[in-house]
Amino acid sequence: MSTHKLISKQPVLMAAGGIVLGLFLVGAAPASADRIEKHFKVEAHPIVTIHNPDGQVTVRAWTKSEVMVVATRSSSQIEIEAEQTGNRIDVITREASETIAPQDLRADYEISVPEDAELQIHDDSGGVNVSNVLGDMNVETVAAPVDLEDAAGYLTVKTVGGAFQCVRCAGRLEISSISGSFKFLDIRSYHISAQTSRGDILFNGEFLPNGYYHLKNYSGVITVRFSPADSFDLSATSLKGKVYNEAKLLPSAHPHHFIPKFGNSLFGMFNTGHAKVELSSFDGTINILKRD
Amino acid sequence: MAMTGCKDFANYLEAWMEGERPADAQAHLRGCQHCRAIVEDMDAIRATAVGWNSEESEPPARIWNSLRTQLEQEGLIRNRRPGLLQRLRGIFAPLPRPALAGAYLAALIVAAFAVSGPVHRQVNHYRWIQGTRESSASVGTHLDSVERATVSSMTEKNPVVTASLHQNLAIVDNYITLCEKSVQEEPENEMARDYLFAAYQQKADLLAQMSERGE
Amino acid sequence: MPEAEAIRRAQQGDAAAFERLYRLHSRRVYSLCLRMVGNTAEAEDLAQEAFLQLFRKISTFRGESAFSTWLHRLAVNVVLMKLRRKSGTEASLEEITEPDDESGGPRRDFGGPDLRLSGSIDRLNLQRAVEQLPPGYKAVFVLHDVQGYEHNEIAAIMDCSIGNSKSQLHKARMRLRELLHEELRSRAREDRKTAESISGGEG
Repeated sequence: MSTHKLISKQPVLMAAGGIVLGLFLVGAAPASADRIEKHFKVEAHPIVTIHNPDGQVTVRAWTKSEVMVVATRSSSQIEIEAEQTGNRIDVITREASETIAPQDLRADYEISVPEDAELQIHDDSGGVNVSNVLGDMNVETVAAPVDLEDAAGYLTVKTVGGAFQCVRCAGRLEISSISGSFKFLDIRSYHISAQTSRGDILFNGEFLPNGYYHLKNYSGVITVRFSPADSFDLSATSLKGKVYNEAKLLPSAHPHHFIPKFGNSLFGMFNTGHAKVELSSFDGTINILKRD
Repeated sequence: MAMTGCKDFANYLEAWMEGERPADAQAHLRGCQHCRAIVEDMDAIRATAVGWNSEESEPPARIWNSLRTQLEQEGLIRNRRPGLLQRLRGIFAPLPRPALAGAYLAALIVAAFAVSGPVHRQVNHYRWIQGTRESSASVGTHLDSVERATVSSMTEKNPVVTASLHQNLAIVDNYITLCEKSVQEEPENEMARDYLFAAYQQKADLLAQMSERGE
Repeated sequence: MPEAEAIRRAQQGDAAAFERLYRLHSRRVYSLCLRMVGNTAEAEDLAQEAFLQLFRKISTFRGESAFSTWLHRLAVNVVLMKLRRKSGTEASLEEITEPDDESGGPRRDFGGPDLRLSGSIDRLNLQRAVEQLPPGYKAVFVLHDVQGYEHNEIAAIMDCSIGNSKSQLHKARMRLRELLHEELRSRAREDRKTAESISGGEG
């Protein structure tokens, strides 16, 4: 797994033991933005890690057994390093100078991976966009928004202020933020655990039988949309805010809810109560609404 | 609720197996052979399961050998001089800091105290509430002092990131204030206490992120 | 080497640290896998996969939860995913935790015949019955009754509520009771047939 294809005039070092390095040499590249492309041959389930302080990170799946990294950097004050060790590709943006100006920190990545790749992405600001990747994923940002499309696997996303959107995702999702808002659209996940402090949460997806959906915030609006064919056991509590419900609920078949003495709560079963839905807010509003 | 028959006891069976023994359930069991048989069966299953545990198995050596080879191939185990991967981890791996470790430990202690609440509550309700108040006050004070030290030493170059971290720290501090007020006004409000402890943990996590960008 | 130090060194790629973490937890993880899948070859693969996933992700461990909780959560997920693939359905990872009857809950046998399990079941009976449980029930039963985890620990491992853990455990035990009774009745029928064929031969 040591082969790669370099499309640039940058030198490449080949080392023993299947390790491949692709480096930028400081000073050899022009001062304006330039583009680097690297290819790495991989086997099934490669691991790809990206550490980028600032910039757009876009990851798409393709059918080749290869990882392609295309990087565009804003200045020669940053180095882009990509290293392959066995079936693992590590990509990092590194400051070449301690006196680098903020506008020179930016590097944008377009990365193509096999669909079963496992991703670990750290991108403080800019944005993260991943589509059609089915392996496990761990994404951490500060301000960068995160968009996932047609993803599956064990997905953990953590932001400080970045918003999160997931369209047509499956698998298991664990999402947390302080002020980011979340949107789950056309979701087909069996387990969602989402917590934000100030952000809104919108869930508009399927409630799978025996799925578990736990949505929690401090303030803001939690909106869950359901259709007549859905089946879920609901508990919704807002300590200081309101709960609005359009679902016709029956008493739960196996009551096991912790019923708080304080706040506004709603418990019950919609249809046969197969999925478990827990909604919780400190002083926000919870809406359980029919799907349009 | 007065237990009138087997159907009532069946609804109560889960709680019974968790150790709850109300007088009317005990009375029903004394007089009902059928329900007694169910309870004895459940006890037999549990006892056999416990015995099963004593036969914990040692995994064969080939698991570690195979695992180690894979870890070396992936570069996760390195016995040579530090390279790109170690520098990479140095940038993003959380560095242990005594102050932050203390905050985490304090938050865990308070959370453990809160989880054990229902048991202790039966023993001494007032002492439990007082204990939780004192513990959470000390966590809050500790986190405040860590915040002052961390914020003053942050050297993040990216202004967008700096602004976001500061703004969100203010948001979490605001929620801590609201939750502390709620817990003070309604000491038996378990949900408010859960939210408060979650906010402490969020703050500790955020400060850890900020300290990674410090001097 | 204490665990916290081993974690820190493992995050930097230290081989001895990885081995230390493995030695500390492998017995428990392997036993869990073995009890969930019932055969050693699969249990070995699953235990290895769980540790591999753990060591790949170890740089992301920040100490928000106990390391063992994090590891056991990974191990349980690896096993449940395997069981899900085996069942060949696209059902949720928590799998079908309700029996196949229409009631959606464990059967309640009011006024049924009073068979007794005490003195009639052993580890092998129980193991056979556990293998027939849906994955979600199986996980909670093995974690609680066999391996001795408390409900708050199981809640952290399985990422469910404490109430959910208790409810699943109760359903698992009720289902095991049904399965063990079926086995006892089946054994009794076989014994009767054998006795009849012997007395028929002698008559």
